[in-house]
Amino acid sequence: MLRLLRSELYRLVRRWMPWIMLGLIVVIAFVFYFLIWVSVNAQLQAVKNGTLPVPAGGTAQLEQTLRQIAPDRVAQFGVSVVAGLGSVMLIVFAASHVGTEFGWGTFRTLLAHGASRSGFLVSKAVSLVLYAVVFMIVGSIAAIAASYTVSAVAGISPGSGVDFAEVARVAVKSGYTFLPYMALALAIAVWSKSAGAGIATGLVVYFAESIVAGILVSLNKDYAQIVNWGLSRNASALTRTVSGQAGPTSQDPTASTLPDPTQAAIVLGIYCAIFLVLAYWRLRSRDVTVGG
Amino acid sequence: MTVQPQEVVLHTKGLVKRFGSITAVDGLDLEVRRGEVVGLLGPNGAGKSTTIGMVLGLITPTAGTAEVLGRDVGVRREDALAGVGAMLEVTSFYPYLSGRDNLAAVALLRGGGALARVDPLLTRLGLAQRGGSKFRTYSLGMRQRLGIASTLLADPALVILDEPANGLDPAGQREIRELIRELASENRGVLLASHLLYEVEQVCDRVLVIKKGKLIASGTLAEVTRGGSSYFEIVVGDKARAAQILRGLGVKEIRETPTGLDVVAEAERGAELNRALASAGVYASALIPRASSLEDVFIELTEPEAPSAPPAS
Repeated sequence: MLRLLRSELYRLVRRWMPWIMLGLIVVIAFVFYFLIWVSVNAQLQAVKNGTLPVPAGGTAQLEQTLRQIAPDRVAQFGVSVVAGLGSVMLIVFAASHVGTEFGWGTFRTLLAHGASRSGFLVSKAVSLVLYAVVFMIVGSIAAIAASYTVSAVAGISPGSGVDFAEVARVAVKSGYTFLPYMALALAIAVWSKSAGAGIATGLVVYFAESIVAGILVSLNKDYAQIVNWGLSRNASALTRTVSGQAGPTSQDPTASTLPDPTQAAIVLGIYCAIFLVLAYWRLRSRDVTVGG
Repeated sequence: MTVQPQEVVLHTKGLVKRFGSITAVDGLDLEVRRGEVVGLLGPNGAGKSTTIGMVLGLITPTAGTAEVLGRDVGVRREDALAGVGAMLEVTSFYPYLSGRDNLAAVALLRGGGALARVDPLLTRLGLAQRGGSKFRTYSLGMRQRLGIASTLLADPALVILDEPANGLDPAGQREIRELIRELASENRGVLLASHLLYEVEQVCDRVLVIKKGKLIASGTLAEVTRGGSSYFEIVVGDKARAAQILRGLGVKEIRETPTGLDVVAEAERGAELNRALASAGVYASALIPRASSLEDVFIELTEPEAPSAPPAS
């Protein structure tokens, strides 16, 4: 098992895709911070110059938004941005990481060289988790660097500076919410022997389920008892808690119906296990002929 | 580990694989010993690759067992395959990795000093110059060579090669034949599935011929080609009369050909056959001694059965 994992990591670090995704998240973090500053600052200047009318509540809202750039808000703002984009990127990566083995026929090659099917699945799952960890670390560091850089350029006070413990806590919990989506993408890629199907299913579930769940709970809060067993509501329950958005102050009218964070963590863990078991069950029973 | 000469490295017993109503392999027993090259022959769809798939644990047998070095692949797959190097018919590696990195990735999976064999194997297979090139840039022949190199990373007791000469030019095919003999001389057992009968004749000590998943002939090349016995190609006009005369001499195997008859008989009986025909007034315009080739036997054994005649009205 360990030998297969070593081989897996050897191949992983020599692939372009993971590096490109890490580069992208760094660039995106900087671009996002920069765009927020440019757009909000432009609006503030326009209000000051009289080009734009003063908003109803004054410029406090805009100044509050600008404050999100400050390093002491990285945990609530920057890491959330990284997590939001990262979830999509990691779903794509998970499906590709597994599906290409079938497309290239290399799953068959690995088995012919003595790899076990369970070992294959475990090494894929472990390498995906490791990559997600690296991704969140790099993304968080990029967010911190972007925050300091743009704050310096914009002349925004760094406040109390970065709360690294809080950043780590938010990153871990946000990263945890990716895992069931990645496991789903992995399972679909195994079942369909296709990266494309894994990506499509993962993204559709990621976006569509949260939209449908939100609409249902908005219509009737009783629906929360049903949709709270889905992925998106449990992921939201964790991320809202960690980003300090939960509770009655939240602007989301459905936030009060979100599940308990501990329960959410358990449900997401169970989803991960179910998806992995389904993938293994399919992998175990399949005869591997040409292509894998 | 003590090397046992003639140790059985692969043994299958009653191997059966059914895909729905189709029986791809039907009760196959085969054995490969150290130091020998065994050819696995059969027409397309005969069950060669399915057999190899079952030996490697890629395909679950419907019945029967496959043992490598005495370890049941169905029970102790990883242990069993530790002593096997296999190259499948379709050579698949990671396209974004170089040939060297692909071998290294397999070597890490294999463990046990395999990593140290990567460069020597690239050299041995003539890939040292292109070891750093991406696999996706490799020609078919280079891919085959890389596939063969990967089989040797684990220093295996059993090497399984499925159509290793696919895509190789004549010089490359010769090199592979020499390599296969070298592998046997290194006291490894080699199971070679091939369509190239010439290749099989050149390198195999024994052959197994399968058709529709069943073993229909096995033995040394001489045994399979009827003990190396000859036959006579007789060009004659009156085929029926000639056949009758020859049967009178005790010749049992006579096949009609467009120009006359093929008659299976010992090489020294040529004069006797000729004399008998001439004495009966049947003159052969040619009587040519021939030796049965593996190709003759293969075609004879594996040719499709003639469709049954429609009932007479």
